[in-house]
Amino acid sequence: MMKVNVLIFGPLKEVTGTNVCEVNDVRDTNEMIMKMNAMFPGLDKKKFLIAVEKEIVQVNTSLNDNFTVALLPPYSGG
Amino acid sequence: MPATKHKNIFVVGAISPSFIAEKIQAHQDKLNIGGHSIFLGQVRADDIENKIVTAIEYTSYEELALEQMAAIREETFSKYDLTCMHIYHSLGKVKAGEICLFVFTSSSHRKAAIDACEEIVERIKKELPVWGKELFEDDTYQWKENN
Repeated sequence: MMKVNVLIFGPLKEVTGTNVCEVNDVRDTNEMIMKMNAMFPGLDKKKFLIAVEKEIVQVNTSLNDNFTVALLPPYSGG
Repeated sequence: MPATKHKNIFVVGAISPSFIAEKIQAHQDKLNIGGHSIFLGQVRADDIENKIVTAIEYTSYEELALEQMAAIREETFSKYDLTCMHIYHSLGKVKAGEICLFVFTSSSHRKAAIDACEEIVERIKKELPVWGKELFEDDTYQWKENN
């Protein structure tokens, strides 16, 4: 069974209630988000970028076992 | 993928005025410098629906932020004729009135230092994965949004 580790940042943690989770058996980022939307009600209404292995991706991206994916809501540093 | 070590910009808590003074002092022996430009971001006690912000608590995806900061640093050095560049950003809690961002650029002439400093500040706000949580005096909070 393959799994990806998902890191959740900033205000998105309010929706997920956690800053890290595992998602199993997903081939790409679209499948992962679909699974997460079912796990965390309200997530589908949130705006965020996705980083796969510390690289921000704009299109659906393949995932391998043990990849780290991060969900990045709008930034507010400085 | 080999882990590359990027220069750390993050400091825990506020950036102290004495730390800033020390950094200025450290440039006194660099005699080719003709101008410095410094930006200091300070936590503002915003009044939001009659509640006052007492502090901001910063978190970041540090690994990604440091990679992106390294790219910004490199691009800024190739665009402007700078002698040096120093950047510090707070993580954790910074009280209203305290410094949370310190950008310091130096050049032989003022224009490069001023323009580079401004561009770095704008890019930090827009591109670095950092989140600020505004804490109110009654222990409630809201997530900050950059304009």
